[in-house]
Amino acid sequence: MRAPTSSMLALLAFWAVGPLYLMLKVSVSPPGEVMTARPTLLPHGLTLEHWRRLLEAGQVLPPLGKSLLTAGLVAAAALLLAAPAAYNLARLPSRWRYGILLGLFLVRMLPEVSIALPVAVVFLRWGLMDSVTGLVLAHLTLVLPVVAWVLTTTFLAIPREVEEAAALDGCSAWQTLWRVTLRLAVPGLAVAGLLAWLFSWEEFLLATYLTLGAKTMPLQVYYYLYQGNWFLTAAAATLMTAPVLLLTGLLQRHLRATSLAGAVR
Amino acid sequence: MRPRELVGLLPLALYLAGFTVVPVASTLALSVSAPGGGITLDHFRRIAGHYQFGEAVVNTVAVAGIGLALELLLGLAAALALIGRPAGRKIFQVLLLVPLGVPTIVAAAVMRTVFGTVGYLNEILLRLGAIRTPVDWVGTRGLALFTVAVADAWKVTPLVMLILLAGLQAIPGELYEAARTDGASRWQQFAAITLPLLKPALTMALIVRGVDAFRIFALPLALTGRGLPVLSTYAYVEYLEYGNPHTSAASSAILLIMILLAVGTYLKLAGPEEVLR
Repeated sequence: MRAPTSSMLALLAFWAVGPLYLMLKVSVSPPGEVMTARPTLLPHGLTLEHWRRLLEAGQVLPPLGKSLLTAGLVAAAALLLAAPAAYNLARLPSRWRYGILLGLFLVRMLPEVSIALPVAVVFLRWGLMDSVTGLVLAHLTLVLPVVAWVLTTTFLAIPREVEEAAALDGCSAWQTLWRVTLRLAVPGLAVAGLLAWLFSWEEFLLATYLTLGAKTMPLQVYYYLYQGNWFLTAAAATLMTAPVLLLTGLLQRHLRATSLAGAVR
Repeated sequence: MRPRELVGLLPLALYLAGFTVVPVASTLALSVSAPGGGITLDHFRRIAGHYQFGEAVVNTVAVAGIGLALELLLGLAAALALIGRPAGRKIFQVLLLVPLGVPTIVAAAVMRTVFGTVGYLNEILLRLGAIRTPVDWVGTRGLALFTVAVADAWKVTPLVMLILLAGLQAIPGELYEAARTDGASRWQQFAAITLPLLKPALTMALIVRGVDAFRIFALPLALTGRGLPVLSTYAYVEYLEYGNPHTSAASSAILLIMILLAVGTYLKLAGPEEVLR
């Protein structure tokens, strides 16, 4: 049993990580190693030419900035809108809570194409095409149900006795909320905020509908891909993945414990 | 419900009503409204006569089916292997979870380097002697379906693995001890304990992933161009390339109905409590 298990795990791990290695390798390989009928698997030459071209052309920096700004705003707005709702959801009688959570679940199931079409038509009229504002508003529709779900689980896990004890010690309702409840909810808030950030960072469909010229990072990667430039694609994709791996690395400890129930939807 | 709780819920509710429910409702309205006013099913008739639409429906279901089968199989294998506390469990778990955070468009870019005609899978297969000439992995419809499903599975198998791992961890160890005392083989334990008790986690993984699989968009578009239409890309091309919001809305409506059918079946089979746990 032991040996087959280990070799299967090794094979699965190879499958999980190998493609990312190839992406990194292509981004630093001389073209002769890659654009040939027999590409090499191990790096032989090493070049930073593709990275220099990617950053130099100035094509990638505006999308990078737009995506960073959008994702940051989406995370902040999602927490501001969803935290009060989740706090109150957690304090509702369970029948009500289940009904509302089921509603959120159903909203999450709606196809993006059916949201994107009318939103694009209206935003065109409102002059919100290509704008960060429009993109944030659109991304929130996908992010809010997930964030509200995760935060409801977070607030449910905080025992009411803690709040009651704070009230007995003379804290006002606001002091209790600020000094006790929110402090205890910080890990959950962090996970929810990071999830919102990640959703927005990689969102592709709504961005496609709402963009005429000012691309986001995923659209820029798609543009290089569409052009068939393997090297710029690989470098831009690596650039896009680096912050994600960093954040999910930070997230991983909490992923199982707090957020699985909501995060997966 | 007290007023204070209502006030806290209101911003979220209003937002989702305005930016999600109203748009979806207006898409549905668009799909049945005649240009001159009134209700018509012409748009549905038009897409029904469009051979690409029929292909898109079949492709959507096929990619979802192949992808889900792969994800459940690999996810279950990984979860079962990890739960057995093998050597190096922690490092394996970290490595296996890596694709989860990778953006979908990056997954598409990565899979293009793997599945390209001069890509790395062909090179590995050539070196192993499994093939003589390079394979065009998106050249035929069958291969393209397989390639897109594999690319999807690469990204989301870690999620399925996490769900199943949580399900496995919830099974009490005493059950296995009792079964061993009674002389049950490993396979008997798996069939009589693991599989039945894992059913809630399996159905959850199935429905959560199933709905996402129906909505697949970036991977077929980036991997095959127009080569493999699915419902989402069909709706996208109808609107953004042919400027026809009505047929785009009609195909979105079909996608919505397919998803609702899947969710409805799930709720009926599993009971609403299972979704909400």
